[in-house]
Amino acid sequence: MIQIKNLHKSYKMGSNSLHVLKGIDFSVEEGELVAIMGSSGSGKSTLLNILGMLDGADSGDYVLDGVPIENLNETKAAQYRNKFLGFVFQSFNLINYKNAMENVALPLYYQKVGRKERQEKALKYLGQVGLKEWATHLPSELSGGQKQRVAIARAMAAEPKVLLADEPTGALDSTTSYEVMDLIQKINDDGNTILVVTHEPDIADMCKRIVHLKDGVIVEDKKIKQVRASAYV
Amino acid sequence: MFDRDIWAEIFNSIKNNKLRTFLTGFSVGWGIFILVMLLGSVNGMTNGFHSQFNDDATNSIFIRPGSTSIAYAGFEAERRIQLKNNDIEYIRKSFPDDFENISGRMFRRTTARYKSETGSYTVQAVHPDFQVIEKTIITKGRFINTNDLISSAKVAVIGRKVKEDLFKNEEALGEFVEFNGLPFRVIGVFTDDGDDNAERGIIAPISTYQRIYSNTDDVDQIALTYNSSYDLTRALEFSGRLETILKRRHKVAPKDQGGIRIWNYAEAFSDISSFTGILDTGAIFVVMLILTAGIVGIGNIMVFTVKERTKEIGVRKALGAEPIQIIKLVLLESVFITALSGFIGLFVATGILAAVGPLMNSPAFTNPSVDFGIILTVTIILIIAGFFAGLLPAMKAARIKPIVALNDK
Repeated sequence: MIQIKNLHKSYKMGSNSLHVLKGIDFSVEEGELVAIMGSSGSGKSTLLNILGMLDGADSGDYVLDGVPIENLNETKAAQYRNKFLGFVFQSFNLINYKNAMENVALPLYYQKVGRKERQEKALKYLGQVGLKEWATHLPSELSGGQKQRVAIARAMAAEPKVLLADEPTGALDSTTSYEVMDLIQKINDDGNTILVVTHEPDIADMCKRIVHLKDGVIVEDKKIKQVRASAYV
Repeated sequence: MFDRDIWAEIFNSIKNNKLRTFLTGFSVGWGIFILVMLLGSVNGMTNGFHSQFNDDATNSIFIRPGSTSIAYAGFEAERRIQLKNNDIEYIRKSFPDDFENISGRMFRRTTARYKSETGSYTVQAVHPDFQVIEKTIITKGRFINTNDLISSAKVAVIGRKVKEDLFKNEEALGEFVEFNGLPFRVIGVFTDDGDDNAERGIIAPISTYQRIYSNTDDVDQIALTYNSSYDLTRALEFSGRLETILKRRHKVAPKDQGGIRIWNYAEAFSDISSFTGILDTGAIFVVMLILTAGIVGIGNIMVFTVKERTKEIGVRKALGAEPIQIIKLVLLESVFITALSGFIGLFVATGILAAVGPLMNSPAFTNPSVDFGIILTVTIILIIAGFFAGLLPAMKAARIKPIVALNDK
């Protein structure tokens, strides 16, 4: 699903240049649930940004579902993001004046799906995260866990190839975190490919594979036995 | 453009920032309000000026004799100048291309009597051309014609008021009225837009009056209209030539202001036109300055909105919004706020003008109003203004990197 070869990225900091990713080789198969771990400054967010086409690499190859991702202009990147990727953010990033259903329907709007079909699909995905009866509520009326579940429904609504979650439990308490991870595991059980960036070991243990980043290189890449979050809920 | 979702978002954005939107929209609405009020007022003044003049053709020239003030060519000062029929003939022959209509004028007071009704009126004895020069409107019958002139017929065209005074509700046409004892047949009734006073007048053929009054060929005044295709310069040049030649004929010193006076409407009219033109330009200039302030205000609010929604726009882009869709969102909101507030200003101002306009009818200020052309122009200005106000903020919004949505730790 994802193939990355010799990926480099550096940022200009005044006269210095900060080499953040120093040759990453990494691939993800369909249906994997991968945790990307590392301390801050390890380059895990930069890697996620490049995977999410939010940022470009300096050199190296990136192939997503057989499509080489290179030389993207803004419009093309937007179309690829819409088609291939679903994002889940640490701070949910729901649009506060839209209700849960409208939030979930937003990526479908950019896919130019008709209004009626959009609403039906949005309700279906809200149902999958167990929030169908909250469809008309604004984000401000939802708890943190509920917000993240709406955000996950939104990411899934576009039926992406890969779900990218950036610290999805970073703003949640541990019980709620496990609920969210339980949901992510279930989505993964359905065959979806998911990448989770986290620095919490217990969250990483709930994935099927852990990739450790340190100073811009992968120091460890191991398959693990998944801890089911449902045991803690 | 007619996407329901985009409008839903625009209304949401406005709803969430009611005060801010109102304050900014107010400046645009106020600018348009002032524009319409100013242009309406200038229009009212222009209408007022024109209505003061509109009882005469706007290309008319009046020649009035007086007394000389300078001794010249062997004559002493204070000599009365008398115009004659042959002056009219002379002008006819000398300036065939320059004039369109020409008429002599004689004024005599008369006591008119019909049956038991009498009244005192001024008779203007003129040539048939006078109808055009004075813009006399015949409501019944006809004006005097060349036949009346040749035969010195005792016929008269009477003003509406004269007809009311003497005939009440009876038919006047064909009846005989006595003017100082002489019977004149009524051949027409006229009205005059300019003033009621003119309708208290009587018009008769000039030849008739010249015969009645001691068989003279005296003329009190000469009125003419110049070639209507002439611009101001040519009109003034023509009246200059007229003056030179008439002064020569009557042996009046060239710089004598008193002997023969020529009054040209073009001169008076061009003064007014340039005056109202300056007012118009001034009004538009002032309003453009006010509107600019309003537009900068809207640009400002849009910059602020974009800044405030940076994160939201980043999220949208992460979810697949293309730059053009973001630009559309911001531009439409800007155009919408500008157009809406402008229209409110427009409607309030035209409403006030429509309500107050008919009440104000002093001579110098008539029917203040704006025409459809102004409204159309204002609408186009508003939409363009809204577009430009939103353009920079929209481009700024389109450049927002979706990465900012992720950088929230």
